[in-house]
Parts: sequence; structure tokens; C-alpha cells
Amino acid sequence: MPKILPSDPSRIYILVVPLAILLLAVPLWIYSGLGPALAALVVAALCFFVISSLVRKVVKAQEQERLLDLQLIQSQKLAAIGELSAGIAHEINNPLAIIAQEVEWARHQLQAEKPEGKSFAELKDSLDEITRQVDRCSEVTHRILDFARKRDPLVQSTEINKLVEDMAKLVEKEVSHAGICVIRQYENDLPPALTDPPLLRQVVLNLLNNAADSVGQNGTISLETRIPDKGKIEIEISDTGCGIPKEDLNRIFDPFFTTKPPGKGTGLGLSLCHSIIIRLGGTITVQSEQGKGSAFTVRLPLDYNSHKSG
Amino acid sequence: MNPAKPKLLIIDDEPDFLETIVKRLLKRQIDATGVDSGKEALRVLQEQSFDVVILDVRMPGMDGIETLKEIKKRSPLTEVIMLTGHGSIKSGIKGMELGAFDYVIKPADFEELFEKVNQAAERKMLHEERVRKA
Repeated sequence: MPKILPSDPSRIYILVVPLAILLLAVPLWIYSGLGPALAALVVAALCFFVISSLVRKVVKAQEQERLLDLQLIQSQKLAAIGELSAGIAHEINNPLAIIAQEVEWARHQLQAEKPEGKSFAELKDSLDEITRQVDRCSEVTHRILDFARKRDPLVQSTEINKLVEDMAKLVEKEVSHAGICVIRQYENDLPPALTDPPLLRQVVLNLLNNAADSVGQNGTISLETRIPDKGKIEIEISDTGCGIPKEDLNRIFDPFFTTKPPGKGTGLGLSLCHSIIIRLGGTITVQSEQGKGSAFTVRLPLDYNSHKSG
Repeated sequence: MNPAKPKLLIIDDEPDFLETIVKRLLKRQIDATGVDSGKEALRVLQEQSFDVVILDVRMPGMDGIETLKEIKKRSPLTEVIMLTGHGSIKSGIKGMELGAFDYVIKPADFEELFEKVNQAAERKMLHEERVRKA
């Protein structure tokens, strides 16, 4: 079945059958009278509505499939990179542990001798610096190993609006003094969802953190919840920040991809969000325009268990 | 563990807050113990095990995040709710990555906290069940 895009010229064939029937109305009128002609008109109209509604359904289904395909490719990519980086992280942890031990030992020696003089004070400072940098490396390796670790969701009844609002309050406290407004638009009758609350909290907090970082000073962060479809819940976090350049959009969920300067951020935040949402049976998408802002949309099944069996 | 009566440890260096919350929890039939430092908490954790821990992340001496790490290392199934007077997104993220259940800003409404404690206790029970089945 050829793919029918919304602006596809082949959409014209929706009109073929109704038009044909419409044309039939003319000879019918001439040869059989007004009655059959009117009947043909009605049939033509019915055909048009039926066919165009079918086409709309097909387009929607194809779009969903395309989205799921993209998410699948992304999670395969993530899994591969996750495995690779976990291997590296493990390898690095061993020498790190040894360095830390040796530094401790060297410090101990200095302590025992209690030498005087400028060079020995400098030596102690150097050892302290080495410890700091080793700790920094450890943090990175732990974050990578954590990212690669598969945490199976533990399902609990969750009030989504409450969860999102809790995180919003946390962010608001920190950004209000930077002139950033936090706006909420929650769907009133959101039913409780069956999902993993701490995992979802991580995603919301990460997205809010990114929003705050990209706005910097004076701007708005908006949080919305809604029911897009039966059995689904959507959380949208948008901002009026710097936006994401078009060429980076399809790399934004890649592990280690970051637009921040070196040392600031490991680039694991969004890929972690993506991997969590996939595990929760949902999808995460982004819309962004450089200079205007970004909007991240998380869509989740209302019942995690239905996703699993379905 | 008994899901109806979780064992709770509260770690907070504000004596008024600690006393009040322990009292109110005991009234609600929650087995609650209060300590005022990370160090003291780790000592207590060596002797007893707890289902849920409420932890103030800004305490002098042992850093809240360090305490969280230690708790998770010694008893990974214990659920930890982080409490803070000064919210920090970055430490919230870090805490969650380390496995904290939730991150709450002070002043925290007691009913809300109570509900979160129950949610955390439920999670511990689910987690234990899964480990048993594995």
C-alpha cells in the first residue's frame, strides 16, 4: 500500500469514486428521472465521506508506525552505546580505584614524615587535586554504569498531575529569581496511571532542568498534561529558551551528545529520559526552533501492564 | 516487612522538625525513629533495618547525597525520600539517579509526606516480591 502523506498529490484519488458516481447522476437523470439521480448524488457524498475518513485513519496509523520505528532505532542505538560505554566504565573503574589507594598511601607517608618546606606543601596540594579529579572520573563512570543498568519498572498507582506539580514546585523555587515563570496547564480529570513514579520523576526533572538551562534568564517554562487518546496520557514540557538547531534535532537523544561546553553536563540526561520512557511503554518527541524554544512531549500508556500484554 | 506498618527512619538536623514529625508519625501507628545526623543514621542502620528513610539533604557534617549513597549501598531495597529546605534541581536529579524515591521541599505538608511514605513502603514491598520471585 503506497504511503499517503497529508500533502500527497495521490490523495486526489479519494475523489475518483465519488466523482464517477456524481457523473453517473447525469445520465441517470436523463434516462431514469430525478429520483435515481438524487440517489446517485447521495451515494457519491457517502462514498466521499467514507473514503476520506478511511484515508485519514491510514495516514494516522502510518505516522504512528513511523514514530515507533524511529523510537525503536533510537533505543537500539542507545542499547549498543550503553553496552559499549558500560564496558569502558568498568575498565576505567579498576585503575581509578588503584590511583585512589596510592594517593591515600602517599598522603599517609607525608603525614608520617611531617616534612617542612614549600615543596612538600605543594606536594600535598597536588595529592588533594589528584583525589578531586579521581572523584570526578568516578562520578562519570558511575553515571555511565547507571545509565546502562536496566531498571525494570515497578508499577504503582500514580497521580500524574501531582507528580509533575511536585517537580514544578522544586524547579520554580530555583528559577524564580532568574526571572523565569513556570506556567501550568493540567488536564483536570486525569485518571491515576499505572507506571513507575520515581522513573517518571527523573524524566520530568531532567526535562525541566534542560528547560531552565536553555532559558537562562527571563523566560517561561510551561507544563501541560492531557489525554491525547483513549488509554494514553501526555506530559508536555516547553520553554522559551534558545531552542535546538535543526541539524542537532535527530541527535538530541543520543548518549553523550551535548550542546553544553566541556565539563558541563555529560550528555546523558536526554538519552536517559528516552530509555526510561521506552521502558515505560511510551514515546518521547521534541519540537524546537532555534531562538524560539523547545517542547518535549512524553506520551505514556495509562496502564503499563496493558502495554506489556498488548 | 508489614506494608501497613512500615519502619521509618528520619534523618534531620533541625530538632524541632524532627521531634514534631516523629511524634505525628507515631500517632499514625508508624514505627518512626529520628536521628540528627548522617553519621548517627549509619550507626543506627548497622543495628536495625528500615523500610523507608526520610533524609534531609543539607546537613552539616555528612552530606545528604553521601548519606543516600551509603544507605543504598548497605540496604538497596530501603526507599529514601529526600527532604530539603533549599531546593536544588541538580541535587534532585543526582539523588534520583542514585535511587531516591522522591524529593520534597520543606515546609512539607504532613499529609503529603505521610502519603509519600506509604507509596515508598508499597514500592519496597513490590521490590522485595520481585527479588523473591527471581
